[in-house]
Amino acid sequence: MKFTPIKIKVTILLAIFLLSQFAMAQGIDISGFARTYEGVNVNNGDFSIVQQTLNLNFEKRGNKVTLKANPMAYLYNQDSLSLGLREIYMDMYFKNFDLRLGKQQIVWGKADGVFITDIVSPLNLSEFLLPDFDEIRTGIISAKLDYYIGNSTIEAIWIPQFAPTTRPDANSIWYIEPEFPVSPTFDWSKNTIDPSLENSEVFLKWSAMTSKLDFELMGGYTWDDNPSMHVQKQFGMNNTTTPPTPMLIGLTITPQHHRLAVAGGSFGTEILGVILRGEGAYYNGKYFQTEDPSAEDALIQKDYLNYVVGLDFNIGGVILSTQFIQRYILDYDEFMSEDEFQNTATFVARYNTLRETLHLELFSYIGLSNKDALIRPKISYDFDDSFSLLLGANIFVGDCDGQFGQYQNNTMIYTKIKYSF
Amino acid sequence: MKKFKLTIIASLVLIASLSANTPLTGTQIIEKTYNRASADDQTAMLTMTLTNKNGQTRVRKIQQFSKDMGNKEKSIMFFLSPADVKNTSFMNWTYDSDKSDDQWIYLPALKKVKRISSDSKSDYFMGSDFTFDDLGDRKINADVHTLLREESLNDKECYVIESKSKDEDYMYSKTITWIDKETFIGMKKEFYDEDEELLKILEVKKVEKFSDIYIITHSEMKNVQKDHSTTITLNNVNINTGISEDKFTERMMTRGI
Repeated sequence: MKFTPIKIKVTILLAIFLLSQFAMAQGIDISGFARTYEGVNVNNGDFSIVQQTLNLNFEKRGNKVTLKANPMAYLYNQDSLSLGLREIYMDMYFKNFDLRLGKQQIVWGKADGVFITDIVSPLNLSEFLLPDFDEIRTGIISAKLDYYIGNSTIEAIWIPQFAPTTRPDANSIWYIEPEFPVSPTFDWSKNTIDPSLENSEVFLKWSAMTSKLDFELMGGYTWDDNPSMHVQKQFGMNNTTTPPTPMLIGLTITPQHHRLAVAGGSFGTEILGVILRGEGAYYNGKYFQTEDPSAEDALIQKDYLNYVVGLDFNIGGVILSTQFIQRYILDYDEFMSEDEFQNTATFVARYNTLRETLHLELFSYIGLSNKDALIRPKISYDFDDSFSLLLGANIFVGDCDGQFGQYQNNTMIYTKIKYSF
Repeated sequence: MKKFKLTIIASLVLIASLSANTPLTGTQIIEKTYNRASADDQTAMLTMTLTNKNGQTRVRKIQQFSKDMGNKEKSIMFFLSPADVKNTSFMNWTYDSDKSDDQWIYLPALKKVKRISSDSKSDYFMGSDFTFDDLGDRKINADVHTLLREESLNDKECYVIESKSKDEDYMYSKTITWIDKETFIGMKKEFYDEDEELLKILEVKKVEKFSDIYIITHSEMKNVQKDHSTTITLNNVNINTGISEDKFTERMMTRGI
């Protein structure tokens, strides 16, 4: 009997359904949501996304042990079904410490919408930064130990197998094809990290929540989630010139992940009714692209700083939040492809009315260095406690070389209808 | 009005020293209410029912824990329903001093505990008719309290106290509270908007006694201008069970109940 991909997926969905029935019979708590999400490109009228989502949470709680599984199914267009387990883990509770084993999302830091010390769980950027933040993070198989001392916590994480950032497929509207002077050849042989003790990642964090200040101090010995592009050039002779001159005839690009050591911290405190937040990290040994002809593989290794300061406040019932983010490459070299400083800001305004059934929000990323932006207005209405309708837009403006402006042809309006249970 | 805590604490002290012959001022009556005995700790299941003018209802269920630690009080709420807020938790540390409350919220979708400003006490709690200020503690000296009269309310002899905010920008121009002379529990409270029009009426429907401590277990807040209301009922109330201070930590916020 031959199993087609469709049959396999239908079988898996059926298994999820049967598992749900079994879970309910076993007293396992089930929650989740079903959502339909359609977006239209305002430039050409094409559907940017047609996505149906089923997200389930199975949870069996106990005093000593809790089990959780979060399977999700994404159906794109008519029949492109993507199934996965965002999380599946077991919690064990002891007197002074907890242990979580399995695939899990781990979130660190005080910043919103930017990832500075929040680098434990890799990101899924296949739809750029548009998915909700619980969907943009990938669960990572790891062991997490939290040891508690009063209001402070020491957290240690061991990740046996590295998982990189998920990038858009080449046929995705979010894929930006890099430009090369000649057609390159890609060598993917070094793009994966073999799972081994030597190749595992470790993170450590000390955090505390006090009446005056919340803070986190962290360190990590990790892999760069984004591969460095090792570029090797092949030259030939241009015989059309007199005398003949060397000319570039080929490029071999070898994506390769490298080790990164990271140390940083974050804090949050309230001053006169305003929440002040900050977060920063020092990254040691990242490879950047360079045009220095003497550089090996067109790469140069530099340290860099990434930090954010933010304010949350409330004016007339409108919840406001703003952040300034700066990345600074230390010991900058003028041949480097990236700027020495990259400045970004975020701004959020949120207003809830009609007894918190109507929600208005404006979220924006503003690229200060490239003068571009992603502006995300949305309005949602809760018809009841389970059922909500959302209308929104993702507006990309500004310099087409900027991280947001490069998607100016992808500006879209969209709707999401969600049923939570 | 301190200790007029509809969510958790509504306790009684019979003030032996209270002389019937010595008229009390409005401020003294509020102080008696503020200082009445309460449980050292308390757990309860809170059900909040929001009813709109068409009679349609929405229900929120919250498991609450609170503990009096002398000069501060810590409380934590775990939201059980509706589905879109399930596993959200909210922690509040209130201080007897003038220090502002410390508040944190854990949003399971973000998997992050966030410190939030306690400056938004005029915001409504979860779309209900109760503001954070209505539910929590309001400093005695934030208002000027005047004894208007003494009268009977539902067969209980009450002081009727008018409280006017010293802050002209406060959302209520004044409140009028009926305080049971025997228990010093606020049994009814009227809230007037900035135009001095009646905005909301809070009525205590049921008070129960737990180990000599009285607790409001059923109350209703009605917005008379918009014709919607919110009822709060407490079930499974337990007091003085020795809740550990460890309950009021980030560990518990993220773990849930």
